[in-house]
Amino acid sequence: MAETLLDIAMMHSDSLIARAREGDKNAQGKLVQLWYKRIYNFSYKFFFDHDLAMEVSQKTFISMHKNLVGLQEVGRFKSWLYTIAVNYCREEVRKKKASRSFSLYDLNPGEGEESYRWEESHNRNENPERQLRHSELSDLLQSCLMELSHEQREVVIMKEYEGLKFREIAEALNISENTVKSRMYYGLDGLKKILEQKKITKETIGYEQ
Amino acid sequence: MNNKPDESTLVAYLYGELNEKETKKLEDYFQQHPDELAKLRGLSEVREVMGQAQDKEVIAPPIFVGDAGIRPLWHSNYFRVSVGIAASILFILVAGKFLGPEINYSKGELRISFGKKTEQPAPPSGLTEEKVNELISSSLAKNNESIAASRTEDQKKLMQTLVDFNSKKMDALTKTVSQASQEQVRSFVSNLQDQNLKLMKDYFQLSTADQKKYMENMLVDFSNYLQEQRKQDLQFVQAKVNSLEKNNNQFKQETEQILTSLISNPGKKKNNY
Repeated sequence: MAETLLDIAMMHSDSLIARAREGDKNAQGKLVQLWYKRIYNFSYKFFFDHDLAMEVSQKTFISMHKNLVGLQEVGRFKSWLYTIAVNYCREEVRKKKASRSFSLYDLNPGEGEESYRWEESHNRNENPERQLRHSELSDLLQSCLMELSHEQREVVIMKEYEGLKFREIAEALNISENTVKSRMYYGLDGLKKILEQKKITKETIGYEQ
Repeated sequence: MNNKPDESTLVAYLYGELNEKETKKLEDYFQQHPDELAKLRGLSEVREVMGQAQDKEVIAPPIFVGDAGIRPLWHSNYFRVSVGIAASILFILVAGKFLGPEINYSKGELRISFGKKTEQPAPPSGLTEEKVNELISSSLAKNNESIAASRTEDQKKLMQTLVDFNSKKMDALTKTVSQASQEQVRSFVSNLQDQNLKLMKDYFQLSTADQKKYMENMLVDFSNYLQEQRKQDLQFVQAKVNSLEKNNNQFKQETEQILTSLISNPGKKKNNY
């Protein structure tokens, strides 16, 4: 994943976090702008649900705003923020289990230009067909991810898509690094079996090295 | 490296987080176990495929959190704690003003008291050790006397109770006997006599039967004995008679032989003998 300006800014946000911790509104706003996409995508990949992802993201940043003063080490901001997000994700899972509701977004999206996912394709200046193909592939892979257990899914998303170090994941989930690695191994192994079942390989998705 | 590496080591290798030494060991292991390497490559391919899932674009919505602003002084914890302590001290002072506090320190004892001091009656003075001992001994003596008196009284009561009880019992028995009629006494005595008679009769009957049986057995035994004795005597006599007969026969034969000899040799002289 190519590093964007946003990624670089996130990596060098220590002074920003320090200022936000001291109550600088501008710094807090910038932190939200910097991290919102990451937390949203983490939640989206966890739930495969836009509404839930939005809700978890908003709750995470409200909680960040309230509790940032209590953050002891600026260097641990990343794992701290993901800890909040994971806790809200787990809370939503519990609520979901209790209510057994489903989102209208999960209904059949249709195909081609009739699909509402055509409308939400992100880079407008790209080839629309290619965008749709990517969107469908993302959804297909996302559905594979949803077949993992919560514990394995958390670790796989944090490592593969959010680029956290094993140490940071261990801090965020409050477990040992070995447990994180073990969950990662079994998560990847599980995904391998799921991909085999669905006959998804590098060749079938037209992957270009 | 013969020992199979655990999952965490394999994952660390997959993400290039093993140090040089561990990497070398693992690669040696993979040379011996190519199937494990193939499995790990499979996981690496999974990573590549899953990496195709793209991020969703999202615009951060404005998040409004209640503006806390600068917290007034009276909202800070320090202010609240300080005011709490000051209020407590003020309360104690006001209470002290109305109740009249008194703080004493004497003989290593600190006393903080409120209100008027209550007067305690002074203990009677002039009590010496001897007086106390005397009082204790007189008290003990009184106590012993009272215990002894109560004990004697209790014993008397107990004896009286026993005597009363026994006399009552005897009276009741005598009364019962005196109430019995002449006829009842006679019937009781006649019953007693009948029972004795019956008992004696049974005893004699039983005894006579036993004696009779014994005598019969004895007579039978005696007759058997006589029979046996007679038989033996007869056998003895028979034996004797047989012996006599035998001797007689022998004498007879000898006599016949002598006679035969005398008859067959009539001319022989007497000197040839």
